[in-house]
Amino acid sequence: MIARLYRPLVMGLLPVALIACMNSPPTSAEPSAAVPLGIDLGGSGPVVATAAPAASEPARSLRRDQMQMSHEGHNDAHGTGTVNAVDPAQHKVNVSHAPIPEIGWPAMTMEFPVSPSVDLSSIKPGTRVNFTIEQQPGGMYEIRAIAPAGGGR
Amino acid sequence: MNFFAPPVAITRRRFMQGAAAAGALSLIPFPPRRSLAAPASVLNGTEFALEIGTVPLTINGRHATATGVNGQIPAPILRWREGDTVTLAVTNRLSEPSSIHWHGVRTPSPMDGVPGLSFPGIAPGETFVYRFPVHQSGTYWYHSHSMFQEQTGLYGAIVIVPKAGYSQAFDRDYVVLLSDWSFEQPDTIVSNLKFQSDYYNYGQRTLGTFMDDAQRAGLADTVADRIEWGKMRMSPTDVLDVSGATYTYLINGQPPGANWTALFRPGERVRLRFINGSSMSIFDVRIDGLPMTVVQADGNDIVPVTVDQFRISVAETYDVIVQPTVDRAYTIFAQAEDRTGYARGTLAPRPGMAAVIPPMDPRPLRTMADMGMAGMEHGEMPGMELSPEGKRLEGKVGVDNVAMMPAESLQSAGEGFPPGRRVLTYADLRATKSGSDPRPPTHEITLHLTGNMERFIWGFDGKKFSEAGPIEIKRGDRVRFVLINDTMMEHPIHLHGLWSELENEHGEFRPYKHTINVKPAERLSYLVTADAPGRWAFHCHLLYHMETGMFREVHVA
Amino acid sequence: MSARIIPVAAMLVVVAAPALAQAPAANAEPSPGVESGATQPVMDQAIFAHAILNQLEGRWNGSNPEFRWDGQGWVGTDYDKLWIKSEGTLSNGALDDGQQQFLYSRAVTTYFDLQGGLRSDIDSRPARNWAAFGIRGLAPYFFDLEVTGFVSGEGHLAAKLEASYDLLLTQRLILQPQIELNLYSKSDPARLVGAGFSDIDTGLRLRYEIDRKLAPYIGVVYQGKFGQTANFARQAGESTGDVRFAFGVRVWF
Repeated sequence: MIARLYRPLVMGLLPVALIACMNSPPTSAEPSAAVPLGIDLGGSGPVVATAAPAASEPARSLRRDQMQMSHEGHNDAHGTGTVNAVDPAQHKVNVSHAPIPEIGWPAMTMEFPVSPSVDLSSIKPGTRVNFTIEQQPGGMYEIRAIAPAGGGR
Repeated sequence: MNFFAPPVAITRRRFMQGAAAAGALSLIPFPPRRSLAAPASVLNGTEFALEIGTVPLTINGRHATATGVNGQIPAPILRWREGDTVTLAVTNRLSEPSSIHWHGVRTPSPMDGVPGLSFPGIAPGETFVYRFPVHQSGTYWYHSHSMFQEQTGLYGAIVIVPKAGYSQAFDRDYVVLLSDWSFEQPDTIVSNLKFQSDYYNYGQRTLGTFMDDAQRAGLADTVADRIEWGKMRMSPTDVLDVSGATYTYLINGQPPGANWTALFRPGERVRLRFINGSSMSIFDVRIDGLPMTVVQADGNDIVPVTVDQFRISVAETYDVIVQPTVDRAYTIFAQAEDRTGYARGTLAPRPGMAAVIPPMDPRPLRTMADMGMAGMEHGEMPGMELSPEGKRLEGKVGVDNVAMMPAESLQSAGEGFPPGRRVLTYADLRATKSGSDPRPPTHEITLHLTGNMERFIWGFDGKKFSEAGPIEIKRGDRVRFVLINDTMMEHPIHLHGLWSELENEHGEFRPYKHTINVKPAERLSYLVTADAPGRWAFHCHLLYHMETGMFREVHVA
Repeated sequence: MSARIIPVAAMLVVVAAPALAQAPAANAEPSPGVESGATQPVMDQAIFAHAILNQLEGRWNGSNPEFRWDGQGWVGTDYDKLWIKSEGTLSNGALDDGQQQFLYSRAVTTYFDLQGGLRSDIDSRPARNWAAFGIRGLAPYFFDLEVTGFVSGEGHLAAKLEASYDLLLTQRLILQPQIELNLYSKSDPARLVGAGFSDIDTGLRLRYEIDRKLAPYIGVVYQGKFGQTANFARQAGESTGDVRFAFGVRVWF
């Protein structure tokens, strides 16, 4: 019996469904889509040392590449922290890390893009990690190396 | 989830391509309404095609026709590199003459863009090709120098990347161009001021103010104060001639409600290039929760100084670096000096965030010190006499006041700053390298900044531009300009073509500026090396002051 | 002939004034840097034009209403202007107190202009013409002041003094006391005007500025006639002192 009603039922419901779809409210515009955003002209790149007289307030600390000789001359730094989330598709990790004095960063929670050559399979949420980050031309820091910090959890 | 800024809209235009594009653009109707989400574009390279035309503009839902470049308000950011030679083909699609002046950029005189001094202007339909080498770096801006087109939207930023690299590191870089917008025609604004000079001042003293003052300071003092001001026929509430009564203040072309946002990642150093591209508005800028380290003034490096607030007068630029470390939004707050409105943007880790907008500070009130009568009690004149030049000026049609005791006050930021905030002053500006010309000046040129508020006439030494001849300087000379402000308003004085080395306490490390804000009753001086020949404009950058006479030609030959 | 000369001379002054104004005056020097005809970087000699109706009101005293206007307009540059002043009262269908002035105005000091030209008394009574000379401007303490002297063709003299003050109660609510006095050297019975201190028209008006250019107001006005003028008025059956309620609009462009 239901089989006999099936076709008229569907045919009756179809226009209703179509109307419902048409009248469904548009997805509410995300406020972010309407906010005008500034155009980032990029970072400064390597700075040129000037023989300027000392500032009245200390300028922000410039990087000190004393830690790993192999990274001499690059805008990179090293940190340790705990992984909060891994996004394999976008190749990003979210890390809560300790202060990174080389670049004057306090402890923070932030998301980093990871260099494509880095293997993220051993990096899980909750893993304590050591990592190396390097500043990209656009200004953002990218993880160049990341590994569980002895033992892993 | 959008953590990162959308791709930077960088367009490259080769000259012929640009010209063709401009030609093609003129056939395509511009989009009927400029959408809030469309960013101003950045133009890179060495060859540019700029088209001046009418631009439909919507501010807070109200529509108007503005004048812009390449269909944009503000005009596109021009990014040049120090050492390049740039070629800019500017086509005028308005029905009236136009021009573009590269403010703060030293160009050969014919490329400076001032009709009547550099060139005849760009006639409707005409294309003028600017071409000049770029021998400096920093933040500058460009705007029309024809009639009131600067007021109706023809302004944009110039960013010149230094050849040797930056001396201060930063991770992000944003232009913050402040301006003022009125739906009234600029001609009407001037005409209104000519008939009633306090037309836009809705902050005047009333019976209510009198009673408040009497309660606070006593009846006798209040009456004496009113008599003192009344005798001079002046009002201490004159702060800005054109106010928020007609202006909407914009940040990168956006009104406060649009929430223009600059993104950052916590811990990053963000460079903000503040430009005051307004016509008549002086802004007091601060970012609550974030101290600002000022690293450049008028495009030139200064020894970094950290402040909570700075006053940026019309046509000045200040580059600051901030380092927000917390994952939160900050409000970039630029209030007009007369507190009748503000421009507002947000620094945030993600779009859509907003921070608290602070209430505006109390409106400043002019004092007897601003009239050049510092230290004198009501009516008492301790045997002081005006200087001979002051006596000559008094009573003239173009002069309503001569400062009895002009004071050197570079260490003061001005009025209107509640205590407890570090505010930038001109005394704080110390160049990072010593001046390139060590010679002392051979002579001085003294100019009084004068005006008659009642008639809305402004000039130098009591004379309008049409009543005075050029200031002549011999090429190669080193001169000192001495400015004495006989009025009770600030005037940002801009000399085209030559650097103005402001004489503050830093000796040979005096800052190189192109626009110097002279406070009421202030006396200051700056050194100029006349190393570029030509007919250079010299004027107050308050647009309606300039157009009503506060303009001179400085002729270097 | 003498009756005609003064108004004609006044008209010539008005017409010739712009030409006279080209000559450099004490305040202005010739401008060597400015070539006439070439594009100028700034146009600081622009011509502006404005007109204002200070009074445009109905006046009631319970019986016959009157309608009064008092306005001025000018066109010109910072230094030289052509000025028109007009006032008049309509009552009982007749136009009374009609005075029009056509003046050339020259800015001479920071706050004052010198004015000269022609005054024509045009209303329902016999017309009179006068040459006019005066000053107008902003006096200390923000009093708006106009003092004008007149000479008629017959050698009669007259004077008019006008003053007003704007007291701001709030930013838009403004109380304005205003006074106008007329004096004449000789009586003019046909115009019901007596010698000496003749009449006064004064008012206290409270206006609300909806816009700077549009402000409705209410007020109390008093018209008084004195001396010989009062006698003429009584003979003609008119009142010599009249307090009325006024309601009008102050408007300018």
